[in-house]
Amino acid sequence: MNETKNAAVKEEPKKAEVTEKKTEAEAEEKKETAPAAKEEAKEEKKETPAEEGSEEINTDDLFKHRVSINLTPENAWFSPSAGGLISLKIINAEGEEEFFERVVIRRSFPVTSPDEFLSVREPDTRAKGRGAEIGMIRNIHIFDQTTVDLINAELDIRYFTPTISKITSAKEKFGYTYWEAETSAGKVSIVLNNPFSNIRVLEDGRIYIFDMDGNCFLIPDPAALDRQSFRAIEIYI
Amino acid sequence: MKLFYDMPAGDRAAYDAAASPDEVLMYCVPFNVWQERFVSGWTAVTDRAIYCILDGRVLSTTELERCTVFSTEVLYGNCAFYGVVDGTTTLICQFLSGRNLPRYSVLVQACEDLAKKRRESRAPGDPVVNEEHERFCPKCGRPFIPGTNICPFCRNSKEVYKKLWGLTRGLRWMLFFPLFVSVISLAIQFILPAIQRVAVNDYLTNESIHPLGSFAEDPHKRAFLLIFLAIITIDLVQRVLGVIQSRLSAVAGNKFTLMMRTLLYEKISTLSISSISHKSTGDLMGRITGDVNAVQAFMTGQLPSLFTQAASFVLALVFLLIINPLMSMFVFVPIPFVVWLVKNFWSTMQNRNRKNWVLGYHVNLFLQDILNGIRVVKSYGNEEREIATFHRRTDRHAAQTESNALLFDTFFPLLGFVTRIGSYLILFYGNYLLFKGTMNYGDLHQFNSYANIIYGPLIWITGIPRQISAFLTSLGKVLEILEEQPEVADIGLPIDIDIEGDVRFENVTFGYDSYNPVLEGINLDVKKGEMIGVVGHSGSGKTTLINLLMRLYDVTEGAIMIDDVNIKDISQNALRSQIGVVLQETHLFSGSIRDNIKYAKPHASDEEVIEAAKMANAHDFIVNLPDGYNTMIGEKGYSLSGGERQRVAIARALIHNPKILILDEATAALDTETEKLIQDAINKLSKNRTTFAIAHRLSTLRNADRLIVLDKGHLAECGTHQELLDQKGFYWRLVMAQRQDSGMLDKADKILAAKKTATA
Repeated sequence: MNETKNAAVKEEPKKAEVTEKKTEAEAEEKKETAPAAKEEAKEEKKETPAEEGSEEINTDDLFKHRVSINLTPENAWFSPSAGGLISLKIINAEGEEEFFERVVIRRSFPVTSPDEFLSVREPDTRAKGRGAEIGMIRNIHIFDQTTVDLINAELDIRYFTPTISKITSAKEKFGYTYWEAETSAGKVSIVLNNPFSNIRVLEDGRIYIFDMDGNCFLIPDPAALDRQSFRAIEIYI
Repeated sequence: MKLFYDMPAGDRAAYDAAASPDEVLMYCVPFNVWQERFVSGWTAVTDRAIYCILDGRVLSTTELERCTVFSTEVLYGNCAFYGVVDGTTTLICQFLSGRNLPRYSVLVQACEDLAKKRRESRAPGDPVVNEEHERFCPKCGRPFIPGTNICPFCRNSKEVYKKLWGLTRGLRWMLFFPLFVSVISLAIQFILPAIQRVAVNDYLTNESIHPLGSFAEDPHKRAFLLIFLAIITIDLVQRVLGVIQSRLSAVAGNKFTLMMRTLLYEKISTLSISSISHKSTGDLMGRITGDVNAVQAFMTGQLPSLFTQAASFVLALVFLLIINPLMSMFVFVPIPFVVWLVKNFWSTMQNRNRKNWVLGYHVNLFLQDILNGIRVVKSYGNEEREIATFHRRTDRHAAQTESNALLFDTFFPLLGFVTRIGSYLILFYGNYLLFKGTMNYGDLHQFNSYANIIYGPLIWITGIPRQISAFLTSLGKVLEILEEQPEVADIGLPIDIDIEGDVRFENVTFGYDSYNPVLEGINLDVKKGEMIGVVGHSGSGKTTLINLLMRLYDVTEGAIMIDDVNIKDISQNALRSQIGVVLQETHLFSGSIRDNIKYAKPHASDEEVIEAAKMANAHDFIVNLPDGYNTMIGEKGYSLSGGERQRVAIARALIHNPKILILDEATAALDTETEKLIQDAINKLSKNRTTFAIAHRLSTLRNADRLIVLDKGHLAECGTHQELLDQKGFYWRLVMAQRQDSGMLDKADKILAAKKTATA
């Protein structure tokens, strides 16, 4: 079982190295290697109980892990679900067709590469715990526009990060910072309890702000803010 | 926690129109996000359906009959509420996590319950009531200070001052006597120019006076001598008063700081683990040192000066008006301009200083991070890169410091000039009057003295709002801690019992948040002296179970009984002093090994120390150290290995001969040989002690009398090693998985050996 995992993990860095053109070929190769690795693992497992000799163990069922595949338009078909979410049909690592009523899409690099390395997963549930990764989308733009729009709509819900365009009032009371701001999602009142750790400035100058309500806001270009807004944020960056 | 809000009229009308008249509205909670906009909508749950209502319109209706499972999911910047309708997961609404996640978590359970009852056509029953505290201000909707029901935004400053007044008890005369002294000294300051005027007018410029002989004969000379002495006396008195005031202020300030720090430290120590773990060590330290200093500096420094400055401003004003109302206009002409200029200058400087402080803080942070991880930096050969980063950061800081200093040094002298404009005008107009003969030298001198006095307070007062706001921030942070109520508190008359060691969990349910249980319905009866192994995946609630036994948290439902006494009735001190704990991460304090072992029993004799160390298999390595038990350990002392530290920690847990022993992954990080040593120690010491041992490595638990398996907060299995193996359940799987791992290790060893022989 460990071997299977390793085989899957080893694939990842390789994938990162190749250019997009190669991705399809890589996927083919992977389809071949992954099951092979799995078979090896199976063989080993069979040996272990023989050595123990005491009890019959069928560990295959116990520790079965889904093999994450590289999702491309050739092996994955996304469609809107009846519940307004996303359904997915794939051809899995064993070459079988599989259907997921609902999949969850997460960004691996929400800040630096939002369109690349999207992780498509089974949803987490209370009964089963964390959902497994079905596959990865190397770059969203290898899919047709309808699919891109569908996925982006889902991502916009998941990564709700309104952009602050203006801070209309800034107050500090008893160590708490209160802002009234205009954002791309409407007017909002923001409360920060520890501005120095909840305002994060990235290398490229973008500013992320996390408030006490669990909101996340973005200032894409602080220099473009008007003077009053910039003064409110300037002292923390 | 509020689960039934009143909808505004428009939304209510929409609901009434959509729902049938006999539907019962059970819950109504807000939702906050809709189509990438912040909105104020309502999720109304009846006994039949869920309605999402926004701006007088029903957005969606979800019939409960068709639903099975509901769930919430924390997304980035918001949360989602899902329901499975006819087998399809459907997004019902989006809401803000900090604000409404607890509400929706309750709703998930409630909706599933309603849906089930609806399908079975049973009555919906009463709505669920949740006792959790509301975390948002009902007045303004902004969040409370965590752990309190105080909204900093709505908080009245008066109330804060009242709290502060309460804190000054016992120090009041010390704090206010200096005020009184400074008022006297101020009054004297104002007499001085008046006396000087007399001296100038009546004597220095009075040409009609001619020396008449000795002091005894000449009244003028006598009067002049008197004036001369008065000036010296006043100066002397002023200085003596100054000394008294400074001395008193220093003492009062020091006492105040001492008292606040002690209060804060005591409070932090009594707060529950849950609230302390939410705050960083740096933050708490900042409050105990920095913020207390700021409050004290204001109380004993700025507050008295504020008082005297304001008084001297008013007095100077009155005197100026009395002497020459017209001329005092010249003082006031530049005031608006000066105030405007000073205010702007200070606010710019403040912003720049703050920025400078942040940059300096980042440099410090970087240094701390890199110096702590210098081994990693060196082992990856990244010195050059880190030097470059450091350069970049210090350069920015240096540039800011330089620019601030340049601005200050240029502007400040100019500011001095501007504030003197009034004086120049007075000089000009005063001399004009002097030449005209309508004013004499003495009056001009006195006027000028007062005019000079008036600008000082003026400039000072412009800085007051800023100082008060900084003071209130610090005071707020200090009070925030003092006002927090410990969640785990002793009852009125707690019992001090001698624990025998019987432990019983009675239907224990607990969640760090009441809506999200980590443990559910745990029933367990442990006899005195039994060793219980606790097994389960990470996150299954093992450590939580132990925390509950130590009463670091209080159970939400059910009870934990020790010797048939509820642990809530036992004083926390008595309880914890009879429980020994060894954790995976051992923290040893700086000091000698002897001090560390004696930590749990400060008056232990050296024999007891050695006995405990022997039981923990630590004695041998300790006596082999050059300083034996007196070896200093901790940050600056001798560094012990992981296994050695662990054994010292075990000795510490044993010295007070606890009746209940808790081992939380105590051996997880150790090599097999050390584990063996500790294992032996544990076997020795778990005799006659009720022992709870958590372990991932199942071999650690081979001597346990019974094993309990926790799975997602439930007690999945309970029994002896053999019983559980026979059940072929969860435990059996764990055993098999670990055997398989060790099987693979053997295999790897064989391959390695084969390779070695091949190369040889």
